[in-house]
Amino acid sequence: MSSAAKIGHGHPRINGHILPQPCPHLAEFRSRNGSKPFRALQDCLRVKPPGGGAAIRRDPDEVARCGMCGDAARPRLYACVACAAVSCHAPPEPSHAAAHAESMPPGHEIAVDVDRAELFCCACRDQVYDRDFDAAVVLAQTSASKLGANSSSSSSTSAIRFQHPENLRKRRRVDYRPWVPDLRERALVGNGSVPLGSSDSSSDFPRGLRGLNNLGNTCFMNSVLQALLHTPPLRNYFLSDRHNRYFCREKNGVSNTNRRNGANSDVNGKIRNCLACDMDDIFSAVFSGDRTPYSPAKFLFSWWQHAANLASYEQQDAHEFFISMLDGIHEKVDKDRGKPQNPGNGDCCIAHRVFSGILRSDVMCMACGFTSTTYDPCVDISLDLEPTQGGSAKMASTKSLHPCNGEADCLNSRHNCGTSTLLGCLDRFTRPERLGSDQKFFCQQCQVRQESLKQMSIRKLPLVSCFHIKRFEHSSVRKMSRKVDRYLQFPISLDMAPYLSSSILRSRFGNRIFPFDGVEPDTSNDLSSEFELFAVVTHSGKLDAGHYVTYLRLCNQWYKCDDAWITQVNESIVRAAQGYMMFYVQKMLYYKASEKQVAG
Amino acid sequence: MNPQLDENQGLLQLQLHHNLWAFVQLIESGEKERLMELLRERLIECGWKDEMKALCRQFVKKKGSNNVTVDDLIHVITPRGRASIPDSIKAELLQRIRTFLVSAAP
Repeated sequence: MSSAAKIGHGHPRINGHILPQPCPHLAEFRSRNGSKPFRALQDCLRVKPPGGGAAIRRDPDEVARCGMCGDAARPRLYACVACAAVSCHAPPEPSHAAAHAESMPPGHEIAVDVDRAELFCCACRDQVYDRDFDAAVVLAQTSASKLGANSSSSSSTSAIRFQHPENLRKRRRVDYRPWVPDLRERALVGNGSVPLGSSDSSSDFPRGLRGLNNLGNTCFMNSVLQALLHTPPLRNYFLSDRHNRYFCREKNGVSNTNRRNGANSDVNGKIRNCLACDMDDIFSAVFSGDRTPYSPAKFLFSWWQHAANLASYEQQDAHEFFISMLDGIHEKVDKDRGKPQNPGNGDCCIAHRVFSGILRSDVMCMACGFTSTTYDPCVDISLDLEPTQGGSAKMASTKSLHPCNGEADCLNSRHNCGTSTLLGCLDRFTRPERLGSDQKFFCQQCQVRQESLKQMSIRKLPLVSCFHIKRFEHSSVRKMSRKVDRYLQFPISLDMAPYLSSSILRSRFGNRIFPFDGVEPDTSNDLSSEFELFAVVTHSGKLDAGHYVTYLRLCNQWYKCDDAWITQVNESIVRAAQGYMMFYVQKMLYYKASEKQVAG
Repeated sequence: MNPQLDENQGLLQLQLHHNLWAFVQLIESGEKERLMELLRERLIECGWKDEMKALCRQFVKKKGSNNVTVDDLIHVITPRGRASIPDSIKAELLQRIRTFLVSAAP
């Protein structure tokens, strides 16, 4: 925005985005042209098929050219909204658009980009934004996608009308109110609890850091467990006794005698294991203050029973274990409730409450623009690393100039080294992807299989986002597996806003400020799209002979958890590590958790 | 008078005329617009657009959104943008243009 359109603090916002103020010329144009100054422009808009952007309508034979220099090859041509004269503007060449504004009487300063349908002020020489204009453009684009091949069909879904995902009730946001105990509650707390022992000798480490013994190639389990033990919402849940293993076992009819023997069998001797109970055991053990390494044997055994096909002393995939474990917690807890719940809304179990988000997938027919939208719950996001050079038309990594997420140490020189970044992976994940001719999608409007464009976005962010980097490639065709060792840069702070469905959809319309009601505001606001990194699971070594290690961030210090050995490390070590799974928690929660000093 | 020189000059002139005509044809027939669409698609697919966007964001962050115009952004990203277009995309477009010129020859 030019200096003519200064944006001060406390500026108005729409959907959390800053509303740019009109420049004086635009403001004057509006006041001079009544209530609907851009109404007439709507008829001049033409939408490039299918589902494409809006441009100024031209006859098929007509080619736009600059009125002053006759050039039709200029990259930016602007049509004056007052007299429709077309002029070019391509610095450092002299601007014919500016010349037009100067040479004409006042009122010819505002123009429209003929290819992009965006407003430009020729006097200020900068882009300007207007709600009514954007409304006209958005309207033109949506009606164009509604018409498509056969206009009459009432079942046609425009790019705007969405189906609400099932079970996603809009929860009213409740303001956070700090809780202060009254006298009665204070007495209750005092009677029902015992103060934790005074700091022990290894008080340098925060409470809850305890090594996990390797029981035979179980670093895949230990690494994920360490991350989960310090996942703030999960930790809080178990430490506040929300899943009480005694009540759980009693409910399942585990007999007293059997319980005393440490077995998880009920009165009939049947083994009834509950991964959540075993998690509860581990939480108690790890946060007890005892620093000697703990052996999660019971948990391993329980998990083996759940994932029978993975029960062996072979090295397993940490990500597979993670999924399997969440599934195990869900299955048991969900069964207890009786009525199975949709994991999408996170009400079924603590695992989904913490990790479950919703992904949105849009598939658009390239022939008619009809878009089919589906929603799927997910507990993590698996991302591909960039393909290496030589294979495809995709950007060679040496040529790529990747952004860092505003990190302080990110200098310009870094940009030319071709590093892959987590943000780059997310960009690729949400990019429109053309489904090739061998993957034709059945279009409901055309009633035939057509080539389509697919785009993913995030409809609902989970409390904790787990990003899994696909480093292990298994090719059944070539009957081989390999590991991708390429370094991936990941940020400490992450803003997921650009990957939300609302942002992705909004970007389809170009640079618009119109809030178009069709776009469902996300159930999150600005703050809850910001995440903080708290755990990184890394893999080193080869595919079949490797080792998992977890780095944890507690009270802004980093700790390396290598099975039974916990050491404090520098942040630079973590940044340089080969990330396999990265865990981010919503910032709002994170601050609440880390500011509290663990009593001790 | 050198007949050889004249002939060369004549050929050169013909070539120039042809190029000019070809260029005009490209635009007039709407082929340029089709090529632009194709180019846009390819540049999105390979991540070039995302990178330019990121460069712009970085620049705006550095300068402050009040102090940046569209012209500034274009000025900043044009050299880097031009330099980072993958060869395969250049090749594909050139091939398309060549094909068009051959088919549209008078």
